[in-house]
Amino acid sequence: MSHRSHKRSKKSRFKSLVYIFLSFVLSFVLFLLSVCLVLRLTVFSGDFMKSAMSGTGYYEFVSEEFSDGMKNLGHASGLSDEFVDDFVKKLDFIEIEGEYIDAFYTGESTLVNTTHFKQTMLGALNDYIEENNIDREKASEANLSYLVDKVAELYVAHVSIPFFSVLGNYISKLDTPLRVTEIVLAILALGIAAILYFTNEYKHRRYRYLCYGLIGATLTTAVIPAVVGIMGFVSKANISSRSLYNLFVSYFNSFFNYFWIFAGIWALLSVLSFVMFYTRFKKAVNN
Amino acid sequence: MHKHHSSHRTINGKNFVILPIIFCVLILGICTAVVYPSTYGLIAVSNLFFSGTGETKSSKYENIFVPVAEEEDVYDPDKPQTPRTVPISSIQYPVYGDLFGELIIEDCQIQDNMFFGDGDVQLNNGVGVYSGSFIPGYGRTILVAGHNNTYFNGLKYAKAGQKVKLRTSYGNYTYEITDVQVKLSTDKTAYDLLAEKENLIMYTCYPFDELGLTPYRCFVYAKFVSGPVIDKNS
Repeated sequence: MSHRSHKRSKKSRFKSLVYIFLSFVLSFVLFLLSVCLVLRLTVFSGDFMKSAMSGTGYYEFVSEEFSDGMKNLGHASGLSDEFVDDFVKKLDFIEIEGEYIDAFYTGESTLVNTTHFKQTMLGALNDYIEENNIDREKASEANLSYLVDKVAELYVAHVSIPFFSVLGNYISKLDTPLRVTEIVLAILALGIAAILYFTNEYKHRRYRYLCYGLIGATLTTAVIPAVVGIMGFVSKANISSRSLYNLFVSYFNSFFNYFWIFAGIWALLSVLSFVMFYTRFKKAVNN
Repeated sequence: MHKHHSSHRTINGKNFVILPIIFCVLILGICTAVVYPSTYGLIAVSNLFFSGTGETKSSKYENIFVPVAEEEDVYDPDKPQTPRTVPISSIQYPVYGDLFGELIIEDCQIQDNMFFGDGDVQLNNGVGVYSGSFIPGYGRTILVAGHNNTYFNGLKYAKAGQKVKLRTSYGNYTYEITDVQVKLSTDKTAYDLLAEKENLIMYTCYPFDELGLTPYRCFVYAKFVSGPVIDKNS
């Protein structure tokens, strides 16, 4: 091998390594972009939470569980089960939860407002006392108000979603930075793809390096939901409330399904780039 | 020369598999190295969180109560005798939520299922022994809760000297009420879970038959009279 051809081969190997590195960076950027987009479509979306709630019968379960808890308090405070059933029937948990979720995504208070609930409960108690001719001496204001406070505590415990209040603070603060990150990553991915495409003199090589990057992104994006699915983490959650358990399982199954969707998109693009590479390669060989 | 030329004309398929796998391992390795140190605590906690079986709270409960004959361990003040002992290995120690006995106070018209644990399910179906206290015969404090408008409504008639019967699968117990007191629910002097002698404390919300809640509880104290002693060493 002559000195010139040796030098050319060394240069070509270095070039090839640079392109492989760029393919790796493309994989990384596409994976990070997938993570950001999954977060945008799930954790950062109030509609996603609401659809998980309605899809799992969350409102019915919450209503049932709240009713059970309130009946239990009723057994300690002289309230009949019928009163509890009638009272809970009047509570619209779809609206209540809707307001609670919206408050998170608009950056408002993450605390459940109990003022209206307490007024409604006190009103219902006074009606109950009158309808049943209960002696006012056996239903003192202080005892009723203590009962209303305890029921309101129960109401807050059922309406609020654990850890969501902690998450809520980050959601409103991280919304803009996440948007910026998505744009930066998208530009970066397009930039790297453009470098791989336009700086390669042979057309089949353009697609080869793109294909490496895309397959890498497919694998990395698919690994997370695959591991979670195989280990069965989601269904092993230690949650005693039926409503929260169902919501948790549905929420996280959908969350990881989005990873599959993005892995699918990258896989489709990988196949396309491979087909392009293959046809161009054949053409080059034939010529 | 021909050989060299032909190698350029075949697709190196290995690269389409090996390189993406290397990329994947590297990316996940980098991500783990970056994320792991700051989320180490969270990962440790999540292991606990994801250790469930998928079972949620249910209104069902296990019934392990197989009553022994009523005449067994019956209290006879005229014939004081040494109580029989029951090896701990021979009894089925209840787990939280189990129905494991019956509580009877004839003078108060109380005859209730007795559960181990005092959660919603237990108190909606009877009275519950606080799981941080002990079972009858253990020689320590038995703290029993019940609702004042249902199963423990009869405690309003409780008076010193009345007999309380606890029936379990391993023996029948008798206690005698010594005192009735109304105290705040937050009053830690209302009960002593570390007491070294067998004693029964029943409590419920106070006042009775009124609408509303108060922070007060009615405590009924009873001393051990008769019943088999659990031998903790056998």
